[in-house]
Amino acid sequence: MKYFAPKSLEELKDLFLSNHDLNILAGGTDVLPRWQDNPSLKLDVLVDIKKIPELIGIKESETDIKIGALTTVQDLKKSDIIKKHFSSIYEATCQFAGVQIRHRATIAGNICNASPAGDLLPGLYVHNAVIQISGLKGERVVPIHQFITGVGKTILESDEIVVGIVIPKSSIKSLFYKLGLRQSMAISVVNFAIAYEIDENNNWKSLQIAAGSVAPTVIYLKTFTDALFSGSDVDESIQLVDDEISPIDDIRATASYRSKVIKNVLMHIIKEIYVR
Amino acid sequence: MQLIPILTPLKKTGEKSVAKQSYSISLSVNGKLIQADVSADLRLLDYIRYELDLTGAKEVCGEGECGACTIVLDGKTVNSCLILAVEVDGAEITTIEGLSKNGTLNEMQKAFVDHHSVQCGYCIPGMVLSGEQIIKDHEQPLRDTIKEDLSGNICRCTGYQKIVNAIETVANQS
Repeated sequence: MKYFAPKSLEELKDLFLSNHDLNILAGGTDVLPRWQDNPSLKLDVLVDIKKIPELIGIKESETDIKIGALTTVQDLKKSDIIKKHFSSIYEATCQFAGVQIRHRATIAGNICNASPAGDLLPGLYVHNAVIQISGLKGERVVPIHQFITGVGKTILESDEIVVGIVIPKSSIKSLFYKLGLRQSMAISVVNFAIAYEIDENNNWKSLQIAAGSVAPTVIYLKTFTDALFSGSDVDESIQLVDDEISPIDDIRATASYRSKVIKNVLMHIIKEIYVR
Repeated sequence: MQLIPILTPLKKTGEKSVAKQSYSISLSVNGKLIQADVSADLRLLDYIRYELDLTGAKEVCGEGECGACTIVLDGKTVNSCLILAVEVDGAEITTIEGLSKNGTLNEMQKAFVDHHSVQCGYCIPGMVLSGEQIIKDHEQPLRDTIKEDLSGNICRCTGYQKIVNAIETVANQS
């Protein structure tokens, strides 16, 4: 195994030019267990991006907030900016693994790992986060729901990395819900985030729901929210969720449990928001 | 998941039988400056245990779930099983061995003794370091906050009450 720790994006690009099959290492909390479980997994060239200063820090502008790729989950949790503008993301950081993992795990790592159960993802989806990518061919920005394409799959090319995440500021409120088999250190059985605004007449002004662990990627529950938006009753429209999700049986729960539990909890929380 | 028999020799990834490219790192461990040559696939936990003979940090799960390998890296608790030794070039590390001064236990360690917080002891180095992190992060932590922030450390003997009691005591003193 070879190890490189470039000190700038330029140095990283030189590595891209001279090597193929680089394995990017950020916090390592997913890469290392995967490698130890499966030694045949080739990690010939490891590129540690933690020494690249351009990837660090949370910056606030008038219209949006830019989160550097290497921002750890604990940094997000402690950030007043995140807590103020994006409650669902803040709430997800509180339920994310334990302190030691949160000290290492990065936001870009959680996104690039592209787990259907990634806890930061639903909040990023409902706040319309955009992924900033940099590579040999230049820069590009892609909305998160287009960035993640399947279980562990993203559109990232082998000569590109995520440099940051941009989230537009808004007055939208949001919340995060996670069901795990225990309160901490649990991989979500079901998780979701809801972003919403309600006008003075108690009607939805906007509503977006993104759910995890119920499909190969986090998905927007669009049919369900459209129905609510057009004034349908929650108790009736909740059944539409079944047409949108495609949960599987796994070690943590069965598909039918996931389907049941997401509908029950969603219904409960939507009613609660509505009453508020 | 693959089951690994408990008694297989622990992975000493640093073994020198195969010529591997080595990387020179310098770091501070418990206040002592150290220079070393390590191979890229050597885990920090193995480096600390087998090269530095600091065996307070333990390996249990090897995948960051249990917290037995907890150390402090640049002021933050981390799982040393999920970090490579090459990654910590220039860093400052404290292990459980670095808490006592001249053979005298620090406040947190004393509290663990006073509260009988230790049974088999395997998780305790990690518990003590997480306790230190808690009193650093919170001025007067609620009992629930202590429990929440201890969630990355698993204990199979004590039932946690006496560990939480010890940390609570230190938190209320400071």
